[in-house]
Amino acid sequence: MTVSSRNNKLGRTFSGRNAAEKRFLTGTISPLVLYLAFWTIFPLLWGIALAFFDYSPRQTGGFLGFGEGNPFVGLLHFQNMLNFTADAPLEVQQFHIGIKVTFLFAILVVPLNLLITLPLAFLIESVNEGVKGIFRTIFFLPVLAPSVGVAIMWGFIFHPQRGLLNALIGAFSGKLVGIAWLRDSSLTVWGIPVALFAIIVAYLWQDMGYNLVIFIAALQGIPQSIKDAARIDGANWWQLFARIIVPLLMPTILLAAILTLISAFQVFDIVQVMTDGGPDDQTQVLLLNIYRYAFRYQKMGWAAAVSIVMFLLVLSISIVQTRFLRSEWEY
Amino acid sequence: MTASAISYKRRTLRINLAYLILIPASLIALLPFTWMILSSFKSLKEIRQIPPTFVPQEFTLENYRTVLNDPDLPLGIFYRNSAIIALANVVQVLFTSSLFGYIFAKFEFKGKKALFWFILSLMMIPHQMTMIPGYLILAKLGLINNLLGLIIPAAIDAFGIFLFRQFALSIPNELLDAARVDGAGEFYIYRSIVLPQLGPALATFGMLTFMFNWNAYLWPLIVLTEKNVRTLPIILTWFSNQQVDKTNLTMAASVLVILPVLFIFLLVQKWIVEGITLSGLKG
Repeated sequence: MTVSSRNNKLGRTFSGRNAAEKRFLTGTISPLVLYLAFWTIFPLLWGIALAFFDYSPRQTGGFLGFGEGNPFVGLLHFQNMLNFTADAPLEVQQFHIGIKVTFLFAILVVPLNLLITLPLAFLIESVNEGVKGIFRTIFFLPVLAPSVGVAIMWGFIFHPQRGLLNALIGAFSGKLVGIAWLRDSSLTVWGIPVALFAIIVAYLWQDMGYNLVIFIAALQGIPQSIKDAARIDGANWWQLFARIIVPLLMPTILLAAILTLISAFQVFDIVQVMTDGGPDDQTQVLLLNIYRYAFRYQKMGWAAAVSIVMFLLVLSISIVQTRFLRSEWEY
Repeated sequence: MTASAISYKRRTLRINLAYLILIPASLIALLPFTWMILSSFKSLKEIRQIPPTFVPQEFTLENYRTVLNDPDLPLGIFYRNSAIIALANVVQVLFTSSLFGYIFAKFEFKGKKALFWFILSLMMIPHQMTMIPGYLILAKLGLINNLLGLIIPAAIDAFGIFLFRQFALSIPNELLDAARVDGAGEFYIYRSIVLPQLGPALATFGMLTFMFNWNAYLWPLIVLTEKNVRTLPIILTWFSNQQVDKTNLTMAASVLVILPVLFIFLLVQKWIVEGITLSGLKG
């Protein structure tokens, strides 16, 4: 280990401090390296290795349970993923459903989130200082709640007989309605399952607070002179928003969109509690699929292979993100 | 009318229009909480009524009495479990993040760049990648159904180290060197000079860490399968699955699990909001 050059200025205590600093660094960095080796590198490598075995914790094998009852299968899991025929194994069909549902969910969540949070942030920014905080708190509140609680609340709202939504529809239409929003697989809109929409509503309700506070902070960073200049030029509200604010916030919007996309890809809690993937696997997202195969059916080799695919998907989004982050805008 | 008066009038109109949208939107945003709270005061008979009522016709505290006296639902134990995990993780993550953030900001040593890049790249790896082997390791160590299983693997937070490095960079070197000239030990310098300088960051990041741990679901669900070691989110879903028909009880339990801590989070939301905006961080 080398001691930084700035310390060499102080010759008097150099040798003593050198040793002390060395001891301090050895005493802190070596436990860190050991910890990371055991709790991050080791599980990562193990996770990758699992994907090449037909591994189940029920079977016994050699080192780490590999071999014998858990045979090496090479790329078999990954080859199976590409089997799109009707007689593909059940887990493969479930995986395809998982990919489809996750993409659908993420692709719907991101634009809906931005379409709500951007104008909402702009509106909250435009009201008086005193009440601004109240509105921000109201829309931010769901972020603070456990997602499990959010799922239980919304599950009750969508309840066919006791739910608030059917009661409201009933009150307006004058008829009793008993729509099973979360359980009726025959309900679709534009080919998209209604149960998935219901989950998206609950998810957006909780998740939008993040982007909201990010956008409010970004809006506060726009110099007042720019907004004033636009007003003097006679810009109306919509023009100010669409022509000035949105372009200025573009870098923040892109970052928020990508972060929203990454977390939408990893949705689990709300789906597991509200529908557990149902009805008829219509809401079976990828992480729920991994959880089921790993911990319910104990097919950990297969689940590890699916995890790798999911990781590569999230990683490719993250790489796009760092590209965007590199181009910084100034105003 | 002068130009400024016109502009003033237009501005007021604009603000009124904002309220016209914001107030109904707020009511909709608060509706799920309102519905949960109101339903928790309804009797089983009323909750079964079709169509359902919004405000309870007969306001009853019976649901709360039933839930609090349910021997199958010792809420105190689950509060304790959640608190132990969340507090332990806050303390250890704040310690490691501030210490290593400071070291990466202010010291030079062989392999520093490589180690820092490795830690940064950990932020890119989603948790589910290590979920299965992580479970197998805990099983081998006998830490399944042990609160330590949620604490020991969570000692290092890559994002925390990154965040505290940014803050520690702004600590003046003169301050540290002056302490060294006075003969202060390195750990003493970290504890009594660096830590106080990082105060606001500690508060912000500590709150966020607490909140994420308190609300965590998937990993505790995997590690804690025996009932008495479970945390609040897991026990809440367990209870709601037990009481499929008695939604009034589920709502009372939800209120008891969600609201007390939500209220505390609300009091410190300034720091949480700061933490999120600071980083563009997502759960």
